[in-house]
Amino acid sequence: MKTVVGSRVRERLVDALGADAVRTEPEDLAVYAFDAYCEDSLPSAAVLPQDARDVAAIVRIAHECDEPIVPRGAGTGLCGGASPTRGGIVISFARMNRILSLDAANRRARVQPGVINLELSKKGQPHGLFFGPDPSSQKISTLGGNTGTNAGGPHALSYGSMTNHVLAIEFVDATGEVRRVARDDPGYDLASLLIGSEGTLGVITAIDLRLMRIPPSIRVCVAAFGDVEAASAAVSAIIGAGIVPTALEIMDRTIVQAVEAHYHAGYPLDASAVLLVEIAGEADATVARERRIETIVREHGALSWRSASEPAERDALWAARKGAAGAIGRIAPNYYIQDATVPRTRLPQALHRVDEIARAHHLTVGNVFHAGDGNLHPLLMFDRRDLKQVGAVVAAGTEILRACIDLGGTISGEHGIGYEKRETLPLVFSTSDLATMGRVRGVFDPKGLFNPDKIFPSGAVCGEVRVPQAVSAGAWL
Amino acid sequence: MAVTQRAPTSAEFGLGAVTPRRVVTPASVEELAATLRECDAAGEAVVVVGGGTLQSLGHAPSRYDVALRTTALARILEYEYRDLTIAVEAGLTASALDETLAERGQFIPLDAPNAARSTVGGVLASGWLGPRRAKYGSPRDFVIGTTIVLADGVIAKAGGMVVKNSTGYDLSRFYCGSLGTLGVLVRANFKTLPSPEARRVALATLPERTRRRAMEHVAGLDVEPAAVLAIAGFADDIDGRDGLEGRIFLLFEGAVPSVDRATRQLRSALGAAGVPETTLFDAGAGKALARLIDAYVIRLGDRSVTYRSRGLPSDLFERTATIASLAQREALGLELIEDICTGDVIARVSTPVTGQLSERIGTFDPLLHASLPNVSVLTAPEALRGDLAMWGAPPSALEMMRAIKSRFDPNATLAPGRFVGKI
Repeated sequence: MKTVVGSRVRERLVDALGADAVRTEPEDLAVYAFDAYCEDSLPSAAVLPQDARDVAAIVRIAHECDEPIVPRGAGTGLCGGASPTRGGIVISFARMNRILSLDAANRRARVQPGVINLELSKKGQPHGLFFGPDPSSQKISTLGGNTGTNAGGPHALSYGSMTNHVLAIEFVDATGEVRRVARDDPGYDLASLLIGSEGTLGVITAIDLRLMRIPPSIRVCVAAFGDVEAASAAVSAIIGAGIVPTALEIMDRTIVQAVEAHYHAGYPLDASAVLLVEIAGEADATVARERRIETIVREHGALSWRSASEPAERDALWAARKGAAGAIGRIAPNYYIQDATVPRTRLPQALHRVDEIARAHHLTVGNVFHAGDGNLHPLLMFDRRDLKQVGAVVAAGTEILRACIDLGGTISGEHGIGYEKRETLPLVFSTSDLATMGRVRGVFDPKGLFNPDKIFPSGAVCGEVRVPQAVSAGAWL
Repeated sequence: MAVTQRAPTSAEFGLGAVTPRRVVTPASVEELAATLRECDAAGEAVVVVGGGTLQSLGHAPSRYDVALRTTALARILEYEYRDLTIAVEAGLTASALDETLAERGQFIPLDAPNAARSTVGGVLASGWLGPRRAKYGSPRDFVIGTTIVLADGVIAKAGGMVVKNSTGYDLSRFYCGSLGTLGVLVRANFKTLPSPEARRVALATLPERTRRRAMEHVAGLDVEPAAVLAIAGFADDIDGRDGLEGRIFLLFEGAVPSVDRATRQLRSALGAAGVPETTLFDAGAGKALARLIDAYVIRLGDRSVTYRSRGLPSDLFERTATIASLAQREALGLELIEDICTGDVIARVSTPVTGQLSERIGTFDPLLHASLPNVSVLTAPEALRGDLAMWGAPPSALEMMRAIKSRFDPNATLAPGRFVGKI
C-alpha cells in the first residue's frame, strides 16, 4: 500500500520539480534515513528544492497525499530531529545554499536555509562582520538547521543563541503559502515560535540574520586543573564575579588527550581538566579582564595559565575544541553525546553526578562542554555491537537528564528534543505547559504532517496530556 | 485577598470610549487565575493593566468589563545573582527590578519608559523597544522563562531558569509583544548582565548644517556607543533647554579605558564636523537616558500624537524627511528622536491649540501609513484612538494570528479588538 501512495507522490513531485530534484530509489534514499542519532527509517522520497516556490509545491503535495514532511539540513543533529520516523518526504536544502544578500551598512544578511553556518562569517569578514552563533558543527551544519534547533555554540555565552540573531523568517505554512515574519513587526512574533520548533510548524525557506562587528581584540587563554570539578568551580566564580567572557569551555583529560593526538594544538596533556577562556572587546579592556580572570582561576587551583593572542595560536586551540567530538573516534568505536543545561553555579554538582552515573553503569565518560552557560555535553563511550553497553548508555543518558532537572536545569541547551528526548519532555513540563504548546502546533500543523514524532511525547504519554477542547486531540502527535 | 474597585474613572482606566465596570487587583497567581476563569465563563472582557504606562498602545477594546491589575504581584521570586539570573513576578516595577539588580552590580537593559510605574510584565507584553537594543538586544532577548495564566485560568510555564534552552516551543519570547491578548504574564525569568564599569553621556548641539557630517563621523567611531539619538524638540521633556536647533545624545557603556578613548575620539570627530561644544557627564547618565525614553510616550495634553517608524538605519533620514514633509503639509508641529543605531524614528506631531489636532491628524495619519510601512502609534489622545491606524497596515500572517488568538482565548475574553487587525 505504501508503494502505491509512494508512486503517486513521486509522479506529482516530478511534475512539480523535475526528475532531477526527486529521489525515490532505496539506494538514493539511504542517506536521508538518519541523522547523527541512531534512529533510521527510509522516507518515501527525498526532494531537493531550488527555492521557496518549490518548497511550497512540495508542502501542498504532501498535504494532499497525507505524507509527512521532514526538513533536513546537513544531518548533524544529535537527537533524530531529521530522521523520517514515519517515512514521508525529506526536504534536503542542499540546493538552497545561497547567501541572498549581505547588507554591511545595516549589519544583516538574508540566507537560504542550506547555507553552511561558517560561510556567513567568511562572507562577512571583509566587511569586518561575523555571525555570532557558532555550533561546533559550524563547518558543515546549516543555518536552517541551526534555526530549527535554536543552536548555540561556545560563543552563546556572550552572543546568545540563534533566537537572539534571527531578524525575520520566510517559511511555507501548511496551506503551501510562502510567508515572511519579522521579529519586531506589529503582531504576534511568529518567528519566535519557528526558531527551535525543529520543523514541526512549517518549512523555513529564508532567514534574515543579524551580523556583528568583529571585536578589535580577541584573547584566548588556557588554564590547567587537577580535576574537572575545580575547573567548573572556577567558571562559576568568574560568572559570579560579574565577568562574562565571550566563551568559557571545559574539556576533561579524556577529551584533551583525544584532541591533542589529532590536532596538536598545545593543550596540557597532564591536566585532568582544561579551561578555555576567550575574551573579546576593546584592546585596553581585554587585557585588564584577562588579569582579573587569571587571578580568580589561580585562586581556584589552576595549575597553569597560558595566553594566546596570536591569531594562528587561537585558531588552533579553537579548531581542536570544536573537533573534540570527532577526535573521540580514536578512543571509542561509538559515543553518545548528551546535551543538558543547569544553572551555572550547579556545574560542579552536575559533573559529580555525571561521573557517579557513568561509574554505576561501567561506562567511560568524556566531558567537553560550554561551561559558562552551564551547558553540559557528557560523551558516553561504547561499542554498539555490545547490546549490554548500548542499554547502559541509554539508561545513563536518561539518568543524567533527570539529575540535571533535579538541579534546576533542563534537557536541552542547544540540540533540541527531536525524536530522542520526546518521552523525557514531560519531566520538564506539566500537562498544561505541553497542552499550551499543543495549541500552537494545532494552528500551524492541523494535519500533523510537519516532522511528526518530534519534540512531543508519543501517543502513550500524550494520552495523559489534557488537550483543551479547542484543540483536536490528534493535532500534535 | 483580591481588591475590587467598583466604578473606576474613565480618566484612569478608560480606553477610547470604553471604561471598565470594575478593577480587580488579585493578591496571588491563584486568585488571578480564578478571577480570569470567572470572567471567561461569564463572558466579561478583561484588559490586563500593569503600571498603566503603555495603555496608549493599540486600538480601544471592543468590550471592556474588568481591568485586571498585576501590581500586587510584585515579589522577587529567585535572584541567583551568581548565575546571573532572576525570576520576578510580573507586577514588579522596572525600577524596583533595576534597584535589586544594581545592588549586585547587574542590570537588564529594558529601557522602559516611566520605569517607576511600568511593570516588568507590561514592558514584555507591550513588546517595548528601547534605544540600547542595538548593543544589548531587546527585553525579549533577556527572557529565559515565563509563567502565564490563560483565559480559561490554566497556569502554564515555558522556558526555565537556565540561560541556554532548546526544550520545547519558546513560548516565553512569543508572548513578548502580544499585549495581553493571549494570557496574563505572571512571572518572568531573565538572564542579567554585569553592569558596565563606566557610563557616560555626551550631549552636543547639532545645527542643521553640521548634522550629516556629524553622523558620518559618529558612525566611524571604533568604540561602539550604547545609544546614539539625534533629537529635535522635546526640550521641556528632556532638560528644559532649547532643543530647537537639534541635539545629539550619545551614551557610552563599558570598561573605563574604552569609554575614555571613545570620548576622546568623539570630541575630535564632532569638532571636525563643526559641532561647537560637547557636554559630558557620568553622574546622572542613567537618569538622562531614562528622561529621554520617557519622552517617547509623553503627550502634550490633547494636542499631540506620537508615532514610531521602524526600518533600516540606512534609510532613517529618508523616512524622517518623508514625515517632515507630510507634517509641514498638514501644518503640524514636529519633534523627532532619530535612533541612529536601531533605525527607529520617534515622531511627535502636534498643534498649538486643542481642537485643531483631530482634523489635521485625520489627513496626516493615512498619508503617513501610505508613505511608510511599519509605523505604529505610541500615544494619542483617547478621543482619537478610534480614528487612527494604531498598528499600520495589517501583517501578512494575520489569519494565522487570528487562529492563534482563538486557540488561546476562544471566548475573546482578553482585550478583544485591541491588537493588530482588531484581534
